[in-house]
Amino acid sequence: MSTRSYSKHIPDFRLVTHFAESGTSIIHAMSPWTKAALLGLVVALATVLMNPILLLTLFLLTLLFYLAAQLPMKVLVGWYTMPVLFVVTLAILFVFTEPGTEIASLRLGPTTVRLTDNGILLIVKLLLRALAVVTLSLAVFMTTKYSNIAHMAQKTLPGPLASVFLLSYRFLFVSSDEVTDVLDAMNARNGNLVRGVLRESKLYASIFGLSFVHAFERAERIGKAMESRGFTGSLPAAGTLTQPSYGGYSLLGVGYVMLVLAVYTRYFNPGLLNWW
Amino acid sequence: MAHIHLEDGAFTPAWTIFWNLVAAGMIAAVLISLRKHPISPRRLAIAAMCTSVGFAIFQIEIPLFGGVHLNLTPLIGILAGPALGSISILMINVFSAAVGHGGWGMIGANTIVNMVEVVLGYYGFRFMRTRLRRDRFVSALGATVLALTVSALMIVLIVTISGVQDSRSTGIETFQKLIVIAAVNIAVGAFEGLLTGYVVAFIGRIRPDLLQEAEADAKPVESAAAVGG
Repeated sequence: MSTRSYSKHIPDFRLVTHFAESGTSIIHAMSPWTKAALLGLVVALATVLMNPILLLTLFLLTLLFYLAAQLPMKVLVGWYTMPVLFVVTLAILFVFTEPGTEIASLRLGPTTVRLTDNGILLIVKLLLRALAVVTLSLAVFMTTKYSNIAHMAQKTLPGPLASVFLLSYRFLFVSSDEVTDVLDAMNARNGNLVRGVLRESKLYASIFGLSFVHAFERAERIGKAMESRGFTGSLPAAGTLTQPSYGGYSLLGVGYVMLVLAVYTRYFNPGLLNWW
Repeated sequence: MAHIHLEDGAFTPAWTIFWNLVAAGMIAAVLISLRKHPISPRRLAIAAMCTSVGFAIFQIEIPLFGGVHLNLTPLIGILAGPALGSISILMINVFSAAVGHGGWGMIGANTIVNMVEVVLGYYGFRFMRTRLRRDRFVSALGATVLALTVSALMIVLIVTISGVQDSRSTGIETFQKLIVIAAVNIAVGAFEGLLTGYVVAFIGRIRPDLLQEAEADAKPVESAAAVGG
């Protein structure tokens, strides 16, 4: 299994698919419907929960799910870079201006930058929310076979959306390879993306333009092939999807009861959490 | 570049649902418009290819200002048209959410912003080519800068209205902080406009048929910049 990606910090769809197709863990055997419903649940919980301890618990549970799928931690830690970068980029604008108890301060000329407990809490909560969802999202895609994703897309999405989704999922590997080739060529010649893009914009435009032209030519060939095989507007799904097991239903039942409780606590009875 | 780099939980549940409903309405309108003109396999494959190339380029972070990337959404609009381009960017946002490049709950807000880029990119280019009779380079540059400036301001508007969950900043404070990001986005948008101009001029030289839909009725005008691609 070769892995080709821009860097170890950006999830590689080829690697994601490799794990999905070759894994044999209990999570791989789980019904794709259960996994999709769990992903929706975690997104909802990450949005609704406000308590940092509960958010930490949610994150740890998603991590447990990832480990149960026998997926490599090293890869996950590398792929955390992007969401962490996004959270920090946003939070840095807010973290020094949040009112609260001052923890540290730094005098910069006429102004003083203050770090408060609420500022730190804000960044911690945003990070926990982001990482919980990213962990489960990657675990779901790294344990669900393409044929199952295709089946689910066809059952849940309108025709044109399902077709574009499925075709582009297939094309992703070729397109990623093409872009990676360009970056490899640039790195091999001691190129630098920042300096290169700014100074050699015409050259990069030709490269990007050529990528699109190649993509269009490939698309035209595929379009003709689809027509010649009697394409009627929707891609046929192969295989069958397993329904959630009793264990799956129970897991989802418990999870969605938790969600209802979280919504109730947040909007109707904020004091409910104080019992512990 | 215009893209709300927020992860799940950054907006309150109410605002997350609201932006997703607005985006769902916009996508529903696109799907209804596509019903009138059935999509040929060729156009379907082109939309899928735009999605995959767009997503691939989307993932390349340029280490400037904490990490920026090119969207090429106005270019996707010019090449695939506003309807298929909108579906294409929705799918790019879905794939991006799958790998943590923006949250699942943010797909709605991101799709609204990107759809504005696609639509303004397409109609801006078309207007400049057919009405103002500008060459491909200038038309694509103008359309892209317009689209990305509007979308950068839309990001500020969306985040200011929604607020960041758990932050005690007021709307005005949030606006003041985000306007810095908008300024960076607009600057990068100007650069992306330049790049898109060269790309469109390049495609126009080797495959002008790919621009047929966007520049119907346009008088052939080529400038030195366009030829230089």
